[in-house]
Amino acid sequence: MIDLSNQSNNSHIKFSREKILAFSLIFPSLILVFITYLYPAIFTFVISFAEYDIIRLKIKKFIQFKNFEFLINNYFFTSSVLRTIYFGLLICVCTTIFSFLIAILLNEKFIGKAFLRVMIVLPWAVPSVVSGVLWGQMFHADIGFLNALLYKLGIIAEYKIWLADPLIALHVIAIAEIWKAIPFMTLFFLSGLQSLPSETFEAAAVDGANVFHRFFYILFPLMLPIAIPLFLIQFVLAMKSFDTIFVLTRGGPGGGTTTLNYFIYQEAFETFNLGRASAAAYVLLVITLAVVLIPSISRYIMKFFWGNK
Amino acid sequence: MKKNLIIKNFFIYFFAIFVFFIMFFPLYGLILTSIQPENIIRSRNLSFFPTEIIFSHFAEVLKPNHISNLYEGMKNSLIVSFFTSFLCLILGFPAAYSLSRLNLPAKNLILGALISIYFLPTILFVIPLFVILVSYQLDDTILSLVIPYTAFTLPFIIWILKSFIDKLPIEVEEAAKIDGCSILQLLLYIIFPLLRPGLIAAFIFAFILSWVEFLTPLIFTNNLKISTVALGLFRSTIDIKIGQQAAAAIITLIPVTILMIFFQQYITRVVLSGSDK
Repeated sequence: MIDLSNQSNNSHIKFSREKILAFSLIFPSLILVFITYLYPAIFTFVISFAEYDIIRLKIKKFIQFKNFEFLINNYFFTSSVLRTIYFGLLICVCTTIFSFLIAILLNEKFIGKAFLRVMIVLPWAVPSVVSGVLWGQMFHADIGFLNALLYKLGIIAEYKIWLADPLIALHVIAIAEIWKAIPFMTLFFLSGLQSLPSETFEAAAVDGANVFHRFFYILFPLMLPIAIPLFLIQFVLAMKSFDTIFVLTRGGPGGGTTTLNYFIYQEAFETFNLGRASAAAYVLLVITLAVVLIPSISRYIMKFFWGNK
Repeated sequence: MKKNLIIKNFFIYFFAIFVFFIMFFPLYGLILTSIQPENIIRSRNLSFFPTEIIFSHFAEVLKPNHISNLYEGMKNSLIVSFFTSFLCLILGFPAAYSLSRLNLPAKNLILGALISIYFLPTILFVIPLFVILVSYQLDDTILSLVIPYTAFTLPFIIWILKSFIDKLPIEVEEAAKIDGCSILQLLLYIIFPLLRPGLIAAFIFAFILSWVEFLTPLIFTNNLKISTVALGLFRSTIDIKIGQQAAAAIITLIPVTILMIFFQQYITRVVLSGSDK
């Protein structure tokens, strides 16, 4: 009897000791991450309601919601929010479609597949500054390959200055981002394709389903659980894109390529209006969180209306 | 049936070549620009093959007093990336073990918080960090880059290492524990060697992520006392010499590309481990 209680007591001590140990192993990481994230997040939140003095590095005065009011009434801000959403959607729709097709290609057998895979993954390691320089040179008004090619083929009569048109410039940036985003998503799709049961497709082929049927009725639904999170992650990453914009257009011409992220940068580090920048950063955070939380919320709603599926 | 196969193969090769061109041509164009003299680049004769190969752009860019200061930038970036990757591994390895195997309270909450932090906009955290660094006069130092990089990369590294530890056979650890192995010994002598692929993958990811980082050094080194490769490359775009700009881009690219090609299997493994959950 005594023995038994002793033993359970012992195991209890051991149990809590393991908890302490587990916590102490993760503690340094948590400290670092939370100091560099949580404190800044709170700080940004506080000064989004204030005017911040950049020279003396302290809060001048609290002005309640004035920063937010200013932003909402500011044409540049509202248009950059809409532009960010369009930009993000464009990038993730194109990236998802291209990556999916390339993944299907890489799932087939052909000569030179290993080589092609390396070539496709390569752009991921390309720093986005380099990718900016790269596409800047492709679309360069004087030396760009695109101008030269189109001119040779007789499609354009004279060399065009691509980046001078805001709408074209925005799409050039999107191309640079898509090119860089394709590799990673392709790898995810590829590993998803490889985990699919091949019997399903064989059975469907035996039943007389043609390529398009197999694609739309079998492959597509099976890949949807992988595609949706990838799509959302890509959207969030696209909203974070900064380097390409900075290198290619610096938000111009006429603010035509200023996404929300770039708008915050300009407010904070070009006009040094930290209060407004922080307010805008919180707007970006809310949009990001909304996108990240869409799947869980929609799952909840689905459950509510259609029961447990 | 055989005819079908030929058509299918035709489509596959056609598509493969098409994809290859789309993905590789921009890089090829960059290489082409970097090895040709300025007057050929600027002439309006479209040629997809080099007519005259020179390497003077590279030599020019790497000179110590060049506007891009790329030599200095390479050195700084190497130091910062190595430090960041080591710090990430040292901090991330025990954390990942604790998350994977030990009885940590609120485990899922911590993991979820770490992962979701990675997707939040960086600029949200950069503004106050800038204020802190300036007020302690820590801006423009190696430290002002290593600490934010480590914090930005660490959640991802912990996630990678955790998914690798999850796959290790638990029997080995149990046997070691029965033999009286302490947790430190267990981590150092048993998990560490078993986890080598995971650690290599994590190191490469941390290295690449800190090598390509641009926003943080742009803001934190505003007085230009220290420079990184990415910044140096950006500064070369102010100059109008296209060839040198391309050469600078290639130099920035080379280290990460080599890592990428040599360690491709590790990177693929990370993706695989992430997708079967």
